[in-house]
Amino acid sequence: MPSIEILIPKSLNEALGILSDQNKVLKIIAGGTDVVTGLKQESNRFINTEVLVDVNHIAEIKEIERRNGKISIGAASTFSEIFKDQIVSNELPILKKAVATIGNLQIRNRATIAGNFVNNAPCADTVPALLIYNATIEIESINSKREIPLQEFLQAPYKTQLKKDEIVTRINIPVPPKTFIGDFYKLGRRQAVAISRITLAVLMELNENKINEIRIAAGAVTPIGTRFPELEKFAKGNEVNDNFFKALASKIGEEIIKLTGLRWSSEYKLPAVQQMFYQTLNRMTKRIK
Amino acid sequence: MINLEFILNGKQITVETEPSIRLLDLLRDKFNLTGTKEGCGIGECGACTVLMNGKAVNSCLILAAQIEGSEIVTIEEIANGNELHPLQKNFLKYGAVQCGFCSPAMVLSAYALLEENPNPTKEEIKDAIAGNLCRCTGYKQIIEAISESAKELTTR
Repeated sequence: MPSIEILIPKSLNEALGILSDQNKVLKIIAGGTDVVTGLKQESNRFINTEVLVDVNHIAEIKEIERRNGKISIGAASTFSEIFKDQIVSNELPILKKAVATIGNLQIRNRATIAGNFVNNAPCADTVPALLIYNATIEIESINSKREIPLQEFLQAPYKTQLKKDEIVTRINIPVPPKTFIGDFYKLGRRQAVAISRITLAVLMELNENKINEIRIAAGAVTPIGTRFPELEKFAKGNEVNDNFFKALASKIGEEIIKLTGLRWSSEYKLPAVQQMFYQTLNRMTKRIK
Repeated sequence: MINLEFILNGKQITVETEPSIRLLDLLRDKFNLTGTKEGCGIGECGACTVLMNGKAVNSCLILAAQIEGSEIVTIEEIANGNELHPLQKNFLKYGAVQCGFCSPAMVLSAYALLEENPNPTKEEIKDAIAGNLCRCTGYKQIIEAISESAKELTTR
């Protein structure tokens, strides 16, 4: 392990002040599940790091609360904190389900929600769930503050809009209407401590038997976690039945190929995604019947 | 080098250390607490589990400076002198220790579970130890030992 200075700011202002000094190579660390393994494996994402800024002790970015009609999750909230939170349990069940599939208890006790997506790994488990909830993220530096949709923040694999002097402070999620139903599905090689091969998140509102609104997102099978706007448009207004779900499942395969191109793994992965998506849609709608 | 202050197995400690060594190495090399094992070193096997402020964490993913002001408990603190903790007794009684490499961490994960949830279901036990790999694969005995310990501790 290289010798690195570690700073532990106690307030957001202190942290932003530290980050504004760009004479040194600074990296933010929270749970360390990415940073410590990255340093150990000499990943080029952490090469030449001189200072680590530990953000675990900044109260302003840890609490989960209702703010301006949204649910606002502090960026440094751990997955265990999110899993146990009453607001999340009541209002964001799909996020809760995604969080429960992450790593293992030791990892969830340390790893944070912003840490899950700031490196923009394609397999980040919370990303599809956050995308279907239309999450926006707040980003601050010493002299700027902005809020953008998560989908815009995520630019390309391992690339985001985050500048060197910035930190993600909050994840804001509009409270979804109680009429929405949804589900999250993760496929890994085993149950715990598995890197996702496929993740899917779906949120849907029905009017009688017709799809009034549907939001669909996937991870791991696309270069980065992503929504499927064309698929959502295609589905809107259609009647919920087995044939339509089959058509929709087949179409998600086409959309994924558009995004990723054909890969060596497509031949077995695509039918798996299609079948998982079909089953997820069936499970969701059966539950309300 | 920094002067690090924290509570280790109930004792207030000040130690001079490199800030970016892993908690795992600090415990093993500076304090000779070798019950904390290194398996994978990347947070997958759980052999390095310790308790940080009562929660099970991987000591291979925490850097020394990050534990400033925290309370760390290792396996060495679980027995009461020469009297084994009920979890340790039951691990022996139920044959839950085979090669033993995962056992200290497995006991700590179980300990943290029972502190938070004294009457866990089998599924809750499985979830609590999902981050502790036993390559001898004696999970059945481990789950039995934890289950039995929960019963003993709650009926005392």
